[in-house]
Amino acid sequence: MDTVKAYKCPNCKAGLEFNPANQNWKCQYCFGEFSKEQLDAVLQPEEPLEQAPTELNSYRCSSCGAELIADATTSATFCLYCKNHTIIKSRFAGEFKPERLIPFKLTKEQAKELYRKWITKRLFAPDDFKQKDKLDKVTGVYAPFWLFDCKVDGMIEGEGTRVRTWSDADYKYTETKYYRVVRGGSTEYNRVPVDASIKLDDQFMHLIEPYNYGDLTEFSMEYLSGFMAEKYDVEAAAAETVMAERVSQYLEDRLTATVSGYSSFTVSNKLIQLKDTIHEYAMLPIYLLINQYQGKDHVFIVNGQTGKVVGDTPTSFAKQLLFAGAVFFGVWLVLVLGGALFA
Amino acid sequence: MRKGIWAIFVVLMVLMLIGGQATRTVYAEASNEHRPNVYDALDKLTANEVAELQASITNVSKEYNLDVAVVITDQTQGKSSRDFADDFYDNQGYGVGPDHSGLLLLINMDQREVWISTAGKAIDIFTDDRISNMVNDVTAPLSNGNFDEACKTFVDDVGSIAKMGVPAGQNRVGSETDEAVSEDQDETDTQPVAGSSYFGRMFGMMKSVWVYVIALIVALIATFLVSRSSKGKVTINNLTYEENDSFVLSDDHEEFIRESTTRTKITKESSSSTHTSSSGKTHGGGGGKF
Repeated sequence: MDTVKAYKCPNCKAGLEFNPANQNWKCQYCFGEFSKEQLDAVLQPEEPLEQAPTELNSYRCSSCGAELIADATTSATFCLYCKNHTIIKSRFAGEFKPERLIPFKLTKEQAKELYRKWITKRLFAPDDFKQKDKLDKVTGVYAPFWLFDCKVDGMIEGEGTRVRTWSDADYKYTETKYYRVVRGGSTEYNRVPVDASIKLDDQFMHLIEPYNYGDLTEFSMEYLSGFMAEKYDVEAAAAETVMAERVSQYLEDRLTATVSGYSSFTVSNKLIQLKDTIHEYAMLPIYLLINQYQGKDHVFIVNGQTGKVVGDTPTSFAKQLLFAGAVFFGVWLVLVLGGALFA
Repeated sequence: MRKGIWAIFVVLMVLMLIGGQATRTVYAEASNEHRPNVYDALDKLTANEVAELQASITNVSKEYNLDVAVVITDQTQGKSSRDFADDFYDNQGYGVGPDHSGLLLLINMDQREVWISTAGKAIDIFTDDRISNMVNDVTAPLSNGNFDEACKTFVDDVGSIAKMGVPAGQNRVGSETDEAVSEDQDETDTQPVAGSSYFGRMFGMMKSVWVYVIALIVALIATFLVSRSSKGKVTINNLTYEENDSFVLSDDHEEFIRESTTRTKITKESSSSTHTSSSGKTHGGGGGKF
């Protein structure tokens, strides 16, 4: 039984790559293009992944036999020597078998272009960083995510006030009425994503949301051909606490939004419970861009489906100061000129 | 980032403090070169009483940067009490600071009348209501021929009212009789304290600490917000992952607990009437018979 898997062109046996633009597989050598159905028909039926192949200490490229350089979570990679795409099958087996996947929609070039457009709009990014043509590293990665479905039930309690003012000849009166306000409700959340990789920055992975779940398909290893992939190293239970916090806040906000007709409302008490939580293991596409600035790596992430860009933009202190100074002067000018008008 | 902004802030603060200190010293020096503050042509006060009065005037004057003068006479050169008081104040060069702030109490024995003339920032502090109270305080002892008590009461009143400062909602109202004399002069009369023209008020605003504080706070907040958005914005909300129509509001009630009502006194607008003296200076004030 092979421990690694490489998808090869049915015509010429060169490596096949998933092509996001046409959502099919393309041979870089003979330019043959194949749809998923065509591939499935030609390729031998997959050995069922449930029988987990044993995890080995090292893996060898199925094309040239060189040792694959991969860390403990790398699940799909390239052979450093022959550039063939290789999938380490044990890392998709058993508990690590993803249930769902969103295929890449954007090509590497499109991702670079989106990043360039985005970075030029960052007000505080240094000019030499913005104008930097070459990106140091761009990698398409299938990132592991836990997708949670759950029902949330809760209540909030708080104090609402209604304020009424009126005045007579001598006094201004302010009447404040205090109310105890209670709201209870329930709702369902579907596929709340939580980053399942320790390596990838949680904050950025949260910022690249949302994904359009319309493209969510059954997981199939062919999609990984041509991309990197990581397996999860954040357990579902740990991710669930992150998710629970998020959806609790969602329901609280939702309930708070139903409180109207008050001058002020502050929540004093809340009780929110989750039930029927189920999770799915999914692979979602991101482009990881690494761009160096003054010797430091700045990581940017482009959502491989929607093209949303987030990242660790370097900030130029001079630009911040200039901006703060301009705002300061503008406000000062308005206050002095306008204030003198009404003084 | 913060460091730079704070450095600017500190420098501005220091500059403003130095500026304030400098003007204060100038005022103090001006009030030092003094002519006598008590002018008693009719010898209604003893030498001791004059000395005491002079001492308490010096104290009040130093503390509030207001000149205070008391004049007792029956020779008003045919002028009304108001004009005599204004002219006496201007001609003798009373007043502290560039706007010659101060007050003069004229006891006109010819007309058995008192007049309090105000100038500079005293116009704003001593509003019509306050002046009329002071006039009442002074005329009561005068009716009994008690000049010393009248003068002391006046100086005490100046001190206690100056301590309260300019009342909220104070504004100057030009006197109607002067409108005929000079229209544009009257225009400047009605302007509030800060300055006599738009540019004057503009410089007044420039000196206000609040302008700098507000501008600084806005600049810091704006920079912080733009800096934060440099990493990308959250584009999901509490509805993104919610199943359509799954939200059910099962409990929705409120109960009244208590109520409280507070009242605050409405500060009435207080005005200071002004007019222009023969030397072209602006004065306020008021008077009464005894």
